[in-house]
Amino acid sequence: MRAKRFHGLKKIKLRQTWSKYNLYNLSRVTAPNIKERTYYQQKWSAKSITRAYHGEAVREKKWQRMFRPYIRSVVPMNHTYLAETDGSDEAAGRGSGKDVQKAARTPPRTPYMNMVYAELERRLDTAVFRAMFASSARQAREFVIHGYVKVNGKKMIYPGYRLNPGDMFQVEPDRVLFATGAPKDRQERRASRVYRSKMSAKDKEDPDTPSQSLSTPTKNTSSTDPPEPKEPKNILPQLLDHAKNILSKPSDDLTAKRKQSLRAFQLTLKRTLSRPNSLTDSIDAQLQEMAHKLNISLPASTTEPDAYDSPAPTPSRDNNLAKTMAISDSEKRLLKRALIDARENPIDPSKPYATPWRPREYMSAFAFIPRYLEVHHKVCSAVYLRHPVARPGMAEVPTPYNIEQNGLAFNWYLRRR
Amino acid sequence: MFTWLSGPGAAFRQPLPGSTNYLSAYDPAGRLIRATQKTRPKGPESEDDIEIDTETPSPEKNTQGEKPIPKETLDDLMPFPMNRQFRSEPVLSEELKDEIFRQWKEEGKTVRRISADMQVEMRRVGAVLRLKSVEEEWKNQGKPLATPYARSILSMLPVTRYAPQVPITAHESINDLPVHTSTLRQVFHPVSESRRFTRTDAGRVFDPTLLPADERIPHPELIDAYRDIGKSPEDRAVAQQQREKKEADIKEAKRRIWAEEEERRVTKVETERWEFRFRDVSVEDAGRDGRGRNGVGARYGMPHEDRKKGIVKIPRRVE
Repeated sequence: MRAKRFHGLKKIKLRQTWSKYNLYNLSRVTAPNIKERTYYQQKWSAKSITRAYHGEAVREKKWQRMFRPYIRSVVPMNHTYLAETDGSDEAAGRGSGKDVQKAARTPPRTPYMNMVYAELERRLDTAVFRAMFASSARQAREFVIHGYVKVNGKKMIYPGYRLNPGDMFQVEPDRVLFATGAPKDRQERRASRVYRSKMSAKDKEDPDTPSQSLSTPTKNTSSTDPPEPKEPKNILPQLLDHAKNILSKPSDDLTAKRKQSLRAFQLTLKRTLSRPNSLTDSIDAQLQEMAHKLNISLPASTTEPDAYDSPAPTPSRDNNLAKTMAISDSEKRLLKRALIDARENPIDPSKPYATPWRPREYMSAFAFIPRYLEVHHKVCSAVYLRHPVARPGMAEVPTPYNIEQNGLAFNWYLRRR
Repeated sequence: MFTWLSGPGAAFRQPLPGSTNYLSAYDPAGRLIRATQKTRPKGPESEDDIEIDTETPSPEKNTQGEKPIPKETLDDLMPFPMNRQFRSEPVLSEELKDEIFRQWKEEGKTVRRISADMQVEMRRVGAVLRLKSVEEEWKNQGKPLATPYARSILSMLPVTRYAPQVPITAHESINDLPVHTSTLRQVFHPVSESRRFTRTDAGRVFDPTLLPADERIPHPELIDAYRDIGKSPEDRAVAQQQREKKEADIKEAKRRIWAEEEERRVTKVETERWEFRFRDVSVEDAGRDGRGRNGVGARYGMPHEDRKKGIVKIPRRVE
């Protein structure tokens, strides 16, 4: 028998992925028609479609053992109300408060039924996917099995590990960037092939010195570790070529701002390259030098986002160069951003994703972080704060189906066997 | 599918600058609903007590001379169009995390205090401190941070902003009362009309040990602080200090009692080479079926269950 399609277009099964197929299915999916169907049939189909999304890699028996009919919920309390009253007014009269003219606003109902699959959200692979460290639950599962995920600082290779409140999990940043970044296009793949063959040729020439990129596969995103630290002169033309490549392609991937910043960056590079004496030892020093000449304060290698967002400082009076180059403030800001980008997000053909890193397509439609996780994306780490809860008007378990379908699925699993 | 992807679905290919980009924010033709509507009718959502502070699109962000996109409403924050009970909720911005970390590190504030001041749940404050410490460690080690990734993810999510001079936006409700199992049933309890029947009494009806909501919420000290509002600022500060001291004292006393008990339970025998520690165990701990969780040692004739079907064979906790 042929294996079933994961993203079928005929019979819609929503999945835990950021795929465009899944997005298309999500855009047109409707609740199944439950008229003229027995209650058993309704429950069966509800269970079937919800389970296709929630833990499809978990065997049914395993999930049935995991399922708990008890649903966690909270009620937000107002401390001023608690301070002002002791609750006796609510029991006054005939036991349900004295009659008042103005009817109190009823709080929204708590969607308990949407919490059926709360226990599955505890699984490590699901949590890695929910924290946006992987593009699908299956990929998250792979990361765990391949040993890229740590729980409380220790390697955890079981995707079925159920997180306890307070557990911190970390994923290898390189894997996260690979999972969430855009894939390489044809030219970039070619560039990395060329790069690899160069590196292997180099290794053959002098086998004593191990290759820089192969020995340090985890280093990334910072040009303080350039792939070829011995030949900084070669890097700038490479960067320039790459910027040209990106700009010449008629692609709608780049935003206008990004294009502008790339052009500005290209310009600076050209200027620097035209002065051969100015080439210093490392690309970092060069960037610093460029920044200095343009009178832009380039932050240290550990760049804060504030530095990225804040406007560039005003030029000092005695800087002649900046005046002669006649660069306006906005240009300067762009250039500064380009410089920071070049440092944090360099072009590196040794990476398995398109560099400079950019988010993959159709990712924003799936981007949300549930409240039971606290995620720090900079270090690709997250804390599982507590179990998901239901509260008035909101259930924290991310499920694409409505309360009726989830309720039917809940009733399916409630049955005694 | 590809017709949809190149038509209405094209909006989802790249993130919308300075805003979230969920399916529910678009109509079937792929137009952004809040950008097409001139004046949005005030729905019931706008009266909701849940405050959503999303990233406000600044004029700089739309450079192409377009009008800035209006702020998202709750309807635009539903990633799953069918499930209206699930919304994408704001996450902490980098500035807010930095501020929390600063208050803890430099001002030496307690987690409880930071939580009440910044309107962020206590567990979340603790997690932020832990994660920021990891970041500091990485910086010290010179390990590269995934900054471009973090920046682009935060631009796709609703974010709770922080600025020093601006009044604080509540990130979430900090006084969530967990629903107790014993309160899930409905009770008919006759009480005389003249009796003052309070929350504490109601709790006792459900379960004799159930505490009233005033003591079960995460921030009971806010109730006392609210009752002090009429007093002078000095008195309030003194009362606040007293409360904090009292809490710290209770915590310390509990810890001391526990340490003393532990000391009493363990008999230490010092030899030249080792310090032997003996702890009394009871055979009864294993229970009648010999499988009690506190039972010590292997039992003759009682096979282990660890290979049986349905028994969890992977770690249950990582210390």
